[in-house]
Amino acid sequence: MYHAIVFLPLLGFFIAGLLSFVKNNPASDKVAQILTATLVSVAALYSIYAFTINIVDAKVVHIKLFDWIAVGSLVVSWAIYVDPVTRIMLVVITSVSALVHIYSIGYMSHDSSKPRFMAYLSLFTFTMLALVTADNFLQLFFGWEGVGLASYLLIGFWYKKPTANAASIKAFVVNRIGDFGLALGIFAIFYLFGSLDYQVVFSKAEALAAGTSNISDTINFFGYQFGSINLICFLLFIGAMGKSAQIFLHTWLPDAMEGPTPVSALIHAATMVTAGVFLVVRCSPMYDLAPDVLSFITLIGASTAIFAASVGLVQNDIKRVIAYSTCSQLGYMFFAVGVGAYGAAMFHLFTHAFFKALLFLGAGSVIHAVNDEQDIRKMGGLSTYIPLTHILMIIGTISLMGFPFTAGYYSKDAIIESAYLASSGFSSYAFIVGLLGVVMTSFYSWRLMFLTFNGKSRIDEDNLSKVHESPAIMLVPLIVLAIGALFSGYLFKNYFIGSSSELFWGHSIALHHADHHDIPFLIYYAPMLLGFIGFFLAWYMYLKNKQLPHDLAKLNGPLYNFLLNKWYFDEIYNFIFVKPARATGLFLWKQIDGYIIDGFGPDGISKLVLNLSLRAKKIQSGYIYHYAFAILIGVSIFITYFIYKGI
Amino acid sequence: MDALNMDNALGEYLPVLIFLILSFVIGCLFVFVNFIAARHNPDPAKNSPYECGFDEFGDSRMKFDVRFYLVTLLFIIFDLEVVFLFPWAITFGSLGLFGYLSMMAFLGVLTIGFIYEWKKGALEWQ
Amino acid sequence: MNIFLPILPEISIFISAIFLLLLGLFIKNIKLIINLAVVTLILAIVFVIYQPIGTAFNNSLVNDEFSKVIKILILLGSLASIIMYHSSRKDLNIDLYEFPILILLATIGMLVMASANDLIAIFIGLELQSLTLYVLASLNRNHLASSEAGLKYFLLGALSSGLLLFGLSYIYGFTGNTNLNLISTTVAPGNIGLIIGIVFVTSGLAFKVSAVPFHMWTPDVYEGAPTPVTAFFAMAPKVAAIAVAVRFLIVGFSDVAFEWQQIIIFLSIASMVFAAFAAIAQTNIKRLMAYSSIGHVGYALIGLACGTEQGISSIVIYLSIYLVMNIGVFSFILSMKYKGEHYENISDLSGLYKNHPYYSVIITVFMFSLAGIPPLAGFFGKFYIFIAAIESNLMLLAIIGILASVVGAFYYLRIIKVIYFDEEKHSFDGFNHKSLHLLIHPSAFLIILFCLYPLPLINIANYAANAFY
Repeated sequence: MYHAIVFLPLLGFFIAGLLSFVKNNPASDKVAQILTATLVSVAALYSIYAFTINIVDAKVVHIKLFDWIAVGSLVVSWAIYVDPVTRIMLVVITSVSALVHIYSIGYMSHDSSKPRFMAYLSLFTFTMLALVTADNFLQLFFGWEGVGLASYLLIGFWYKKPTANAASIKAFVVNRIGDFGLALGIFAIFYLFGSLDYQVVFSKAEALAAGTSNISDTINFFGYQFGSINLICFLLFIGAMGKSAQIFLHTWLPDAMEGPTPVSALIHAATMVTAGVFLVVRCSPMYDLAPDVLSFITLIGASTAIFAASVGLVQNDIKRVIAYSTCSQLGYMFFAVGVGAYGAAMFHLFTHAFFKALLFLGAGSVIHAVNDEQDIRKMGGLSTYIPLTHILMIIGTISLMGFPFTAGYYSKDAIIESAYLASSGFSSYAFIVGLLGVVMTSFYSWRLMFLTFNGKSRIDEDNLSKVHESPAIMLVPLIVLAIGALFSGYLFKNYFIGSSSELFWGHSIALHHADHHDIPFLIYYAPMLLGFIGFFLAWYMYLKNKQLPHDLAKLNGPLYNFLLNKWYFDEIYNFIFVKPARATGLFLWKQIDGYIIDGFGPDGISKLVLNLSLRAKKIQSGYIYHYAFAILIGVSIFITYFIYKGI
Repeated sequence: MDALNMDNALGEYLPVLIFLILSFVIGCLFVFVNFIAARHNPDPAKNSPYECGFDEFGDSRMKFDVRFYLVTLLFIIFDLEVVFLFPWAITFGSLGLFGYLSMMAFLGVLTIGFIYEWKKGALEWQ
Repeated sequence: MNIFLPILPEISIFISAIFLLLLGLFIKNIKLIINLAVVTLILAIVFVIYQPIGTAFNNSLVNDEFSKVIKILILLGSLASIIMYHSSRKDLNIDLYEFPILILLATIGMLVMASANDLIAIFIGLELQSLTLYVLASLNRNHLASSEAGLKYFLLGALSSGLLLFGLSYIYGFTGNTNLNLISTTVAPGNIGLIIGIVFVTSGLAFKVSAVPFHMWTPDVYEGAPTPVTAFFAMAPKVAAIAVAVRFLIVGFSDVAFEWQQIIIFLSIASMVFAAFAAIAQTNIKRLMAYSSIGHVGYALIGLACGTEQGISSIVIYLSIYLVMNIGVFSFILSMKYKGEHYENISDLSGLYKNHPYYSVIITVFMFSLAGIPPLAGFFGKFYIFIAAIESNLMLLAIIGILASVVGAFYYLRIIKVIYFDEEKHSFDGFNHKSLHLLIHPSAFLIILFCLYPLPLINIANYAANAFY
């Protein structure tokens, strides 16, 4: 069964990949679409089955497929390692992926290279599954890079669009920084523990922390001594920051929206970006031994949550708003991890996958309806034209804002409560930020909804007449996701964070028991209340008093611009890194490579060769006495040489 | 390798030296006798090239008839044949049948060459 | 008649040549004469294969493993030239029945060279071959370039023969013997007169193999001579002259190997480097092949410079592969014709790929092989040579060889570039000639497949090199 889950998408990738060489053939397009969607759907059904088993019996399944690398003491196997954390990831990945596959059949119906798109989607699914089913860090790294590659390919899927190319390169480069940290972390793990197996590493780490190990508890890094586990956890977290678009390494995620919308839903909302959270949760036994790093994670997570939410307030691109929302929600997950609430983080990851995928696919449906327009200022009043999409997006939005009894309500509350209860570093900062973020989340979500669906339409007449509801093949996945967004919280809260959690998780994560009954009444209801405040603010500003946003923007011009320009992160990076790097590159290219290396190397030598060859040609005068002269000179030189050299 | 032996080695060449001196003297003598005894009455016909086609003291970059050379080349081959025949004839008695057949083969090949040049028309002075 | 058995191939070719000479006078059927010449050569190959190992004429001719292999290469080269001649004799205005006969006579000279174990035998063989080659070069009498080529070759060849003969007399003077085996017993290091003799003889031989600085005649003669003759020049005489050099130096003078090694190393480096540079500026493909052959001789001489068994074996491998490549390339050059007119410039090949994709691939194979690009045979030829050099501690020679082959790769690759990427120019009808198919396809086949099954050739080469050790 687990083999099937992991390898069916790979099969789909190969077949669709081969079919992508067949150009302009509707039949092969259809085959590729239906086949990949079916294969991933089968994997999804298996995953759901595996997940339900987990509720009954949370046993660990460990299948070693083959030894991948065996060099000296480095022995790495290719494995399928399934524990509760993996099962959650499996069900999230395969079900969202299956729905996105199906949705894409409709969404990409006008595209000319459908098999290629489906192949990339399946490739992504496979690598993501390889990532989460790893039993060691190297296979994880394989999956990590694999999803990076798939993400790069999919962001740049419309490769004729310069912005898409730029975005895909940006995503790749920014991820490199994180991956570099991850790689260093893996190196450090192998250096210290001599193994890359999770179980071996975690047990050795615990022994190290307990002082019953002969492994050095400090490690020299760039000439400084660091605590071994602290350093490893920190480096791994750098990797997680890159992949999960945490502040400082977040800049690629909004740009990644250049890719097709199903890609944004699958990769940049539900699955890949949560790989960082998965990594930290997976390594929770080790992270528990590194409280300093956990504090750092809390700080970064909380900062990301508030930063991304604040930027989301003023964005005008429908997908970018959701992207910043994703970024912000990932921040929530991270500070949950940071305060030790691994279960809550996974729970939010789980629910977030549903409602965020729903929002993205809904946004895709809107974009599809209005002829690829993405600017919400040019929408409005769409609720009458695409009512079903409207309803489905409302479901996503209320789940995101934490409306009572929806999925987001349970998971977000759990996170904020954990932050309140925790006593680790920055936990109170995280708590306050978390609450503030709830207002903002609610505000920007409803702002998006009102601007898009309510009020008077700002679409010109021509396009308005063409606005149409999406086909069933796109709506059905939305409905499925909406069900998840509504009920997944209520159904599973007991298992993730409630009374059955110990049984549910087994030993797969480090569990901490906090008494949720100690929470004051006001705190308990604060997120919900703040969510409503955000909703009313948005309603007032965008439906009631429409002049207010403009006045506010004018009044607080600098602040507005600051937010609109995403805190000037891109500009600052541009100034600090990109421009000097470009200048250095230009210098090295023009001066060092072009002038010096080429000049003395290839160009110079080829000029020299040509020169010599023309001279050599000139020697060949055609006069017989020159030839005879050459012969005699040759003989003379030989004889002179031997006579002078002596024997 | 002392000096005495060297002298002896050179001594063996004394007849050659005498032969060289004699031929030089006789050659000079004939020219000299011609110079004294012959009548001197040059005319253009007498001074013109005789039997070799062109003026031997003129400009070397001039046209000449290549057929003269052809005849010379053909002549040389048979000249050499005779040169080969001399030593063969002298030692013929001790060479036996094998010596005889060898020379016949050689002459046969030359004859075939002669037939070839004859048939090709190299001997005709058109 | 047992004394004729060791020279049976030579005698049979000679009798056939004489017979054909007479036959040609009375029968105007050139094709018949060509066919008979081909039969003669094939017969000679069979004779060589089944000939016992031994000596003849008081050890002045030897039939050993080396001479047998070399003779087969020479005979194959001659055979290929006659076939090439047949394909183009009418267009090239050399429709003379003497051509196959001259080839046969030159072949006798070369076979004698391959066996020659005596200074006089060496000279006789060399002269018989050279005289015939002079005539062959100027075969197209009405063509100015051909006459010029013949005259140049003759004058310079006479000069080099003089040098060679002078050297031989030196050697005879200082050793008192003409037989190489006897000479080797009297050779002792420290005899400057002997070394000077070796220098002269080596220079004379270097002229025959066209090693720099004795190569000057090569480009002019290759360009001027009719293409089948050029092909012949590039194949058989080179093999024969290198064989003579090998036997002369290895058998006769292995005790002063250090001295002559220096000459060979100089010739080798000069040839490789000069050929690589000079070839780049060429526009005529025959002239280019002249420089190519100069360069290849430079590589083959590396094997001689080693003076080891491995070196000799690598020479034999190299010469065999070189021969096959030249058969292919010259057949291709002869195919470059349209309505009876032959094209010889590299620019005439431009855009060939569009009209003749198949033959473009084939010439690409040949050029890659000449340039020494793996996995084609030419690469392995160079590879064995360099290995032999490295094992003999001739590191510098190997490195210069590799660098020169990098430069040399340029002009081969340029042809490929012209064929594939330049504007379409000519369409050729010469590719339809059946007799050239006999040469092009097998040689391409051998070059491609050598890497799969190199063992036979390596075994043959080791067998040949065995003769000296």
